[in-house]
Amino acid sequence: MREPGGAPVPISEPDPFAGLSDGTSADGAWLELSVVADPEAVEAVSEILSRVAPGGTSVEPAFDLVDDGLGARVDATRPATVRAHLPARDRTAARAAVRRVREDLGHLQAFGLRPIGDVEVRVVLESDWAEAWKRHIGVMRIGRGIVIRPSWRRHRAAPGETVIALDPGMAFGTGLHPTTRLCLAGLERWADAGLVAGGGADGGPARVLDVGCGSGILAIAAARLGAERVVGVDTDPIAVEATTANARRNRVARIVYAREGSLPAPGGPFDLVLANLIAGVLVALARDLAASLRPGGRILASGIFIDREVEVREAFAAAGLVVVERTGEGDWVGLDAVRVA
Amino acid sequence: MAKKVRIVLTLQLPAGKATPAPPVGTALGPHGINIVEFTKSYNEKTADKAGQIIPAQITIFEDRSFTFVLKTPPAADLIRKAAGIDKGSATARRAMVGRITKDQVREIAQIKLADLNANDIEAAMLQVEGTARSMGVEVVG
Repeated sequence: MREPGGAPVPISEPDPFAGLSDGTSADGAWLELSVVADPEAVEAVSEILSRVAPGGTSVEPAFDLVDDGLGARVDATRPATVRAHLPARDRTAARAAVRRVREDLGHLQAFGLRPIGDVEVRVVLESDWAEAWKRHIGVMRIGRGIVIRPSWRRHRAAPGETVIALDPGMAFGTGLHPTTRLCLAGLERWADAGLVAGGGADGGPARVLDVGCGSGILAIAAARLGAERVVGVDTDPIAVEATTANARRNRVARIVYAREGSLPAPGGPFDLVLANLIAGVLVALARDLAASLRPGGRILASGIFIDREVEVREAFAAAGLVVVERTGEGDWVGLDAVRVA
Repeated sequence: MAKKVRIVLTLQLPAGKATPAPPVGTALGPHGINIVEFTKSYNEKTADKAGQIIPAQITIFEDRSFTFVLKTPPAADLIRKAAGIDKGSATARRAMVGRITKDQVREIAQIKLADLNANDIEAAMLQVEGTARSMGVEVVG
């Protein structure tokens, strides 16, 4: 079986189907056509490819990372790759389609658009992508007793374990990233110290705020660990939907409430704040984060790239947040801080 | 250096009718993305635009999660609508299938400016014109 990233077969080679061994059914096989194009020609190339691939095209633009890697900015000056796929079942038709694309693309430069690369053709098999992504993802254990279970895996919970059902999907936060793991582990330490089930100002269950709730993984964990109420905010509406759906899936919909927006969040001040963001945002929000906490309340800040830890610590100190514990994984740092007075 | 964003890509798909077949599956599957969750959400958000091609710009994170925003229809779609044709010419060099005016080109360029990889309206118009010609649509006026 071919790897998804198998070497492209140049169009000049006689048979793009050479990669399929004899007797391999061409059902579930697709021809992938890819063209590297100047940004100016992307729309035209995409249109030409879509003539033979009615399912649509994909465009991979060049991009630069921004906001500590949390965001990306498309670079309009560098070439992009345009791809389209056609069923390989009817080999004669597929070959004719490839010929036609090559011919149509050949005319493009006559229309005043900058040069494009050659068409590359390769065979991709359905088995390479259809269910392949699930194989990468298993049951994950985080900290002492938090378990993240993808819905297609079974897990028999041991005593003391907190199992959260969560599929990788929309919005950030699946437990596969160090910043999320640091936060979950910190949350578990709080729970072990009695801060979640008994961290309220009156000694009752804590009221928790999750800033940048993403998939809702942290909010759900807080709810399962005994919080009275968890409010999640996120500026991305997809994240708010994801949090709400995942809270329902984990039967904590009555405890977790998600809302689109930022700080100040409704229902504050809180006993505990979870902020799995990025350094720049933590610095910008430091005072609002502190204001969201009652005096003596705790905040877990994660998503801090190690080079920017000092900046975050300074902003926190200026906002009256004193770091009481630091954890790290790879290049990422998590800070546990308390609001003084 | 550990980073959160893994890749950015744009899928040009029929509104309300995306399926896990290529290009969706082939684009998202290898990155460990939940394909069905994407198509479900895309179709929900584009159901009211059926019949159009609505691109989705998808950001895939290192932890195999993703998010996406919808973009304006491809220039080709807008050109087809302006020229009142179903599809582009099979042989653009030989057969013209329709025409649009310079003003229509400007209008399309304006709609696309935010999404097109162009810095100004003139550059955007050039792209729209080139796309039109390659479709066998003549630009007049």
